[in-house]
Amino acid sequence: MRKGLIAGLCLALVLAWAGGVMAAEVRGVTPTTIKIGQWGPQTGPAALWGSVARGTGVYFQMLNEEGGINGRKIEYFLRDDGYQPGRTKAVAKELIENVGIFGFASGVGTSPGMAVMEDIVKNNLVWVGPATGSTHWAFPPKKTVFAVYPNYPDEAAILTNYILFTLKKEKIAFIYQNDDYGKGGLDGALNEMKAHGKKLVLEIPVEVTDTDLASHVLKLKEAGAEAVIMWVLPKHAAILVGTAAKLGYKPQWVASSTLSDAPLMYNLTKGLWNGVIFGNFAELPDSNDPLMAKYKAAFDKYADKKSDHWGVFFYAGFGFVEPMVEGMKRAGKDLNPETFVKAMETLKDFKGIMGKVTFAPGQRQGMREVFLAKCETADITGPDGKTVKGGKAVRLSDWISVK
Amino acid sequence: MFFQLIASGVAIGATYALMALAMVIIYKTSEVLNFAQGDMAMLSAFIAFMLLTSQGLGFATAFALALAFAFFLGAFLEFAFLRRAKEPTVLGLIIITLGLEMVIYGLASWKWGGDQKDFPFPVSDFETYNLGGGVVMSQLNLVTLAVALALMLMLFLFFSYTKVGVAMKATQQNESAARLMGIRVNRVLMLTWGISSVVGAAAAFLIAPTDTLDPNLMWTPQLKGFSAAVLGGMTSLPGAVGGGFLLGVIENLFGGYVSVEFKSVVAFAVIVLVLCFKPSGLFAKHYVRKV
Repeated sequence: MRKGLIAGLCLALVLAWAGGVMAAEVRGVTPTTIKIGQWGPQTGPAALWGSVARGTGVYFQMLNEEGGINGRKIEYFLRDDGYQPGRTKAVAKELIENVGIFGFASGVGTSPGMAVMEDIVKNNLVWVGPATGSTHWAFPPKKTVFAVYPNYPDEAAILTNYILFTLKKEKIAFIYQNDDYGKGGLDGALNEMKAHGKKLVLEIPVEVTDTDLASHVLKLKEAGAEAVIMWVLPKHAAILVGTAAKLGYKPQWVASSTLSDAPLMYNLTKGLWNGVIFGNFAELPDSNDPLMAKYKAAFDKYADKKSDHWGVFFYAGFGFVEPMVEGMKRAGKDLNPETFVKAMETLKDFKGIMGKVTFAPGQRQGMREVFLAKCETADITGPDGKTVKGGKAVRLSDWISVK
Repeated sequence: MFFQLIASGVAIGATYALMALAMVIIYKTSEVLNFAQGDMAMLSAFIAFMLLTSQGLGFATAFALALAFAFFLGAFLEFAFLRRAKEPTVLGLIIITLGLEMVIYGLASWKWGGDQKDFPFPVSDFETYNLGGGVVMSQLNLVTLAVALALMLMLFLFFSYTKVGVAMKATQQNESAARLMGIRVNRVLMLTWGISSVVGAAAAFLIAPTDTLDPNLMWTPQLKGFSAAVLGGMTSLPGAVGGGFLLGVIENLFGGYVSVEFKSVVAFAVIVLVLCFKPSGLFAKHYVRKV
């Protein structure tokens, strides 16, 4: 009898302990909140892309206003890493260990992302929609990492194909930033050319610290390139088209989606961006898509107009994170990394303001399509009510996916 | 392509020359390498930008005010920070300038944000002149060239023929003796910082329209200016300018014919070579300190 009692007590204890474990709190998730972090360059050479992280902030604010996700409000932690991988590592450590977040939403930069991917995977944190088209996130697939941005090789292949068969230009040169970002694009272009038995007339690297690109441009000119694909920073794109204009060289410039903010590039280049063709991963700013209208309203309501304009990098902060929000919704009340991953794998042809996103077990590259647009000069009404000449993106194609 | 590479090299070399001039002025009087030089210039460019865009001033007024600001900024930094150093060694002072560089960079990032802006300028970088044989230079390039040469000449005359200029030279050669001769060394140093800051700001105004305006604007030009100064001789004004032009041309020829990939590191290879074979620089008289 007594033995039975002790055994019973032990059993009860074990069960209670086990039960405690089952109900153990999930990192970053409480009954009323979900903690989500993001890094982004608010300062430094890539600060132009820093608006992605601020866009995500406005997106979450909008969702919280609507009641949050399954009754939970999102607590958002934005940290500046200045596009320096060392600092990204530090802020990720702080967010993972001190703040204890559920996961990361987006995050600009290939090298910054690479610096922290291991920590994220090791700690079983979820990470959705890195704001970079590198192939490292989805290949090989990692359980909790979901890439949304169409990867650079895919995009470069689509652009190259467009130049060859729609613009019918054969002499193509490629100018790229001498790191993973630029080389990812270069690989895509090289493969596409090879597939059609052709070669690039010139491939030429730019270092991040370069400020004088005269010899680059002269080499492009001498190679006789009719079309030049750019996989560089906005700053270098501006210097490139400026130097080319000065040296009387007028190829068809074709740019990566990282340079798709047409109004901004138009201003940076004093109008030389007119006629440039570029890849796009999200609807254009003046799109009449209902979701875009809703996000624009959120921008009008919450965004700081002094630092942000309604441009593609800002609402990319919505777009890259839409699948994450959908995943959290589908995971239901019992949100943890396991249920979240399962829910994400049910996303099939999910459509927000970007291209179609599909995940499945073993498939972590969500989006594989872009569309093309061209920058044209238009009359723009500025904030002061005056009409000035500005750049406007005009759509050239429907969504194109890799074959 | 060869002649265009040289022309483009001379054009970019003019900006290096201006930055080299700015660095040499301070080095000449105090043997301090001013690492804040670039960012002081960047800050002045932002002030000009602010006056032009949000205050809506004309180019002449905005640039004049920004240059005045640059002068006071340089003088103020010397007065408020370098002069306060206790028993300063040259190395200690250099570290102070490094600190100032970080403070100014942070200040500019905080005030204006890190994103790239378009710097308005009255002279176009796209309107070009044909120098013969299809070799072109833009209006802006020519203006930069003229400004670099004019400033060099003015500073050269100033150092050689004015009382203050000679006092500056004396301060560099022997500070105590200069003090004993009745030169107010502190005031001379403050003035040097002011003048140097103005030259740097002029460089920034001419560089910003070819680039985009952001807090990193002067980072590369400063390194290149420093290399140019070492190449030409840290104590020689014409040397600094000659070094600037030479460096611009070497870089462009290297980029055009050898390797574009390593173009940006040529400057540093040049520093190493010069320090190995002719440490006083190509154009400076070899200078031996008397004990």
